[in-house]
Amino acid sequence: MTEQLGTPIQGVTLYSFTRAFHGREYDLEGLIRAVVENGFGPGLEIVGFSSLRGFPDVGDEFVAWFRDLVDEVELVPTALSINADIGIHRTRRLTQEELVEYMRLQIVAAARLGFPLARVQISLTPDSMAALEPVARSHGVTLALEVHADQHAAHPRILALRDQYERIGSPFLGFTADWGASTIGIAPSLLEAYERRDAPVGLLRKAEALWDEYHLAGPPVDDVDAARRYAAFRSLAGAFGRPDLAIDLAVNAVGIFGCAETSSWVEIMPWIRHVHGKFFGIDDNHEEPSVPIRELVRLLVESGYSGAISSEYEGWHWNSWESPFDIVRDEQAIQRAAAEDAESRMITDAGEARSALSAHLGTGAASD
Amino acid sequence: MIPDRIIEPGTLKTDGLRVSVEVRIPWYRALPASCIGEAALCVDGVVVPTNSLRWEMNGRTFTFADMVDETGQWWFPTDSAVLSGDLALSADGVGHVVDVELELFLPYLIVDDEVLRIRERDSKAMRAVMA
Repeated sequence: MTEQLGTPIQGVTLYSFTRAFHGREYDLEGLIRAVVENGFGPGLEIVGFSSLRGFPDVGDEFVAWFRDLVDEVELVPTALSINADIGIHRTRRLTQEELVEYMRLQIVAAARLGFPLARVQISLTPDSMAALEPVARSHGVTLALEVHADQHAAHPRILALRDQYERIGSPFLGFTADWGASTIGIAPSLLEAYERRDAPVGLLRKAEALWDEYHLAGPPVDDVDAARRYAAFRSLAGAFGRPDLAIDLAVNAVGIFGCAETSSWVEIMPWIRHVHGKFFGIDDNHEEPSVPIRELVRLLVESGYSGAISSEYEGWHWNSWESPFDIVRDEQAIQRAAAEDAESRMITDAGEARSALSAHLGTGAASD
Repeated sequence: MIPDRIIEPGTLKTDGLRVSVEVRIPWYRALPASCIGEAALCVDGVVVPTNSLRWEMNGRTFTFADMVDETGQWWFPTDSAVLSGDLALSADGVGHVVDVELELFLPYLIVDDEVLRIRERDSKAMRAVMA
């Protein structure tokens, strides 16, 4: 822990509103304005391939329009989520050279749109990150590899990346900590969604018990262990006569609800450049029952973290009956209360957010 | 995943010999044609022959074999594609049950050295209109 308490920057990723955008309830401008009207900023994160038609080819006209809009509504671009589509050819993997070029185009788009940081993904190896560092540096975009629910901060692949970062020592390389890696249970809304699909109650109780068992044992030690757990959930659905739910249950239980401890983030804390405040729903007490948000915010504050937290609601995968706007509003209230409980606060002012983000990243970006 | 939106309501069309329906991506982000695997189309339980299926996207029509190496054309999350195939059907105002199954490859998710593929299904009732 550091002596200086952190003041994380409040924000949201448009990924939280996937159903609304996909359902054509909002276009990109409408969604950005809705973020502002609901007070979900100042931090703004976008997924390039979700929100931007033709991505990563962003034309001059679009870039000017986007930057003007973000300035007008006083949001602060914090992260552009970009994708390491190593399997885009289906039958073969991209070569290292192809992958670097594939990522370079997206990094250039991030820079042009004014994002100081790009979220990248685990399919990038330590060698890929080393190859991309000069690209990141030349465009002033930090690459923050996402530690997602199917990994955790002490996973061998994450530690190998951390070791690579320490060797290179560049401010342009780091991690995005996704809270989905350290949950405390399967979301009640997911269980409700299965109930709505007539899943046997016995299956759901057994699935919860199996998840609790894995939570007690700790996160998967490697990919083989993860595959074994995945198979166990699939078998469980089959045993209850619902093979149609098997893959869905396994993907969610193992791939979305990670079972690392909150404290595990300490392992890579100095390299956390961005945070996905992943969560899945809000209960009747206005709390998140499956993500220990209060503990996570306290840990960040006490670790001196003053980067952005993008509220990332992922319950939309199964929850078609509740408004994501109400859910994000409640989740951000928990974050703010948690920061205050830790004797600090969340930054909600755009000007202060720009300064804090610039200081946090230490790359000279985000200050203009 | 948004499988409940795969089939666009009210988009079943027929010219008597071929049928078509508009489909939406059940995923949060755009994917290139190379990541669209197989599809199946049934009307009232009658399977449309696989070799007659065509995929129309961004103003172009593809066979599924055409799409395997096509990384230049992308399916954007708010766009409809059109899935069509050979099936004798009249636009007689009668309701029909349309079933679509779609296989997608998720290009950044590699499991056991294979690109993760998902199969999603949707079923909706609608009347057929003349194409």
